Amino acid sequence: MKKYVCLLVLVVLAACQPKGYQLVNRTAQRIGVDSLTASADSSVVRFLQPYREGLNRSMNEVLTHATARIEKGQPDAALNDLLSDALLQQARLRYGKPIDMSHLNYGGIRNNLPEGDITTGSIFEVMPFDNQLVVLTLRGDMLQQLLDHFANGDKLVVGGIRAKVHNGHAHDVVFGNGRTLQPAELYTVAMSDYIADGGDNAGFLKKAVKRETLTYLIRDALLDYFRQQGKTGQPIKPISDGRISLD
Amino acid sequence: MDASASTRRDFLKLLGTAAVIGATTPDLLAGTGHKGPVRLTILHTNDVHSRLDPFPMDGGRNAGKGGVARRATLIEQIRRQEKHVLLFDAGDIFQGTPYFNLYKGEPEILAMNRLGYDAGTIGNHDFDGGIDNMVTQFGKATFPMLIANYDFKNTVLDGRTKPYKVFVKDGIRVGVFGLGIKPEGLIPKDAYRETVYLDPVDVAMTTAQQLRQQERCDYVVCLSHLGYKYEGPTISDTVLAGKTRNIDLIIGGHTHTFLDAPVAITNLDGQPVWVNQVGFAGINLGRLDLTFERGKAALTGQSLEIKA
Repeated sequence: MKKYVCLLVLVVLAACQPKGYQLVNRTAQRIGVDSLTASADSSVVRFLQPYREGLNRSMNEVLTHATARIEKGQPDAALNDLLSDALLQQARLRYGKPIDMSHLNYGGIRNNLPEGDITTGSIFEVMPFDNQLVVLTLRGDMLQQLLDHFANGDKLVVGGIRAKVHNGHAHDVVFGNGRTLQPAELYTVAMSDYIADGGDNAGFLKKAVKRETLTYLIRDALLDYFRQQGKTGQPIKPISDGRISLD
Repeated sequence: MDASASTRRDFLKLLGTAAVIGATTPDLLAGTGHKGPVRLTILHTNDVHSRLDPFPMDGGRNAGKGGVARRATLIEQIRRQEKHVLLFDAGDIFQGTPYFNLYKGEPEILAMNRLGYDAGTIGNHDFDGGIDNMVTQFGKATFPMLIANYDFKNTVLDGRTKPYKVFVKDGIRVGVFGLGIKPEGLIPKDAYRETVYLDPVDVAMTTAQQLRQQERCDYVVCLSHLGYKYEGPTISDTVLAGKTRNIDLIIGGHTHTFLDAPVAITNLDGQPVWVNQVGFAGINLGRLDLTFERGKAALTGQSLEIKA
């Protein structure tokens, strides 16, 4: 009997459940948003205007000048050297202590620098991401692993060292003060939090001896560097010192 | 014995009555009598990435495309033609142009208010200004941020988002919920802090069931920032669609996938779930036109007209 009552309740519930709407047809379109499909809405244009003006003001600040276009390249190029040296200098200032070297993610350099005026906008185009500058303390053997990881594919962008690359292996590594790389010694490396946290398959860096955040965006470091360069009155020349060479 | 026999007779009688009610229910409950088909238009964007202005005319592939002011005109045109329109975004509103670096997302959100967005979900880059900035900027939105699988309980975002929302358009109940991607390894810990990521399949199953049953939704939409498809078993919109039930449409993002038309994926109940994504940067606006009828047989796997 109980069974019947339960069944009855179910039937009545089903009957009283509103049937609702059913989908009987569906079509789709992908509408391209361009000057052919639509003109700009004037009220939205007006709304954006002050933001755009502010943007233009802050992005058009001329930081310094370049005597020629400064380009990135493999295994080494003027922009690689310029940016990694800038990063090392600014990281040392911020850290307040010596730092052995700097590393930049080759793929994270998103544009070249123009000849002539280098503006805030130029730096945003080179480095659009909000990556933080961190200082990793690494044992020499892990630093060797880092150098090899990026040397493999000729994407080693570094400041503060010179090295030769053979079949994706970095060797003859020499620091600015003439020291050579020793597996058991400790070294400090300024780099992007993206890489330090294992980005670009560099997961082994999570086992670094120490990780310190400078609370300083890489882009802000570059902006500070180029602004400072502008104050010296000396234009930037695109020079690669061949710190990374293949053999 | 007699009691039992009597109960059985009563039961059969009641069953008969129930069957009659069942057969006539749609019109009885509709009250105003039979209604004709109702059209609902869903418009959507994903990964707009602070691209408020069109791409600059620099000879690049996307030169001159996109722009929020043009998107406003298009949406306005469609709203004039269609009575029932819903407008959604599938995440990564922020980051990608200096607008975000300078204004932290304010013009993006205020522009979306102007365009009349009905809801959005949270993408990984929406964390780029930090979780405090999300509180500030989402606080300016006139539309809800829907996210069902991020538990913000121990963060400043607690209570600032909703798992889902039900929209009612001419009696059609549309349930919309949001799903976000796994933050670990993708978003700096400093940015997402104590946000707890919950399994998207489990959350989608319970949320969609709740929308379908308790909330009596006729149509269930998932705004997802999981990504369209990956090599391997990584959760994506295509995996999600196949492993769940009660979802009718997944509006996706994250992978910047340009689908010419929605892709139909068979779900656990054998129903064809639509998965769509329209690239990035506001280059495209997705448009889906749905027709509903009361008490009609639901649409199943037959081929559907698709205008690319």
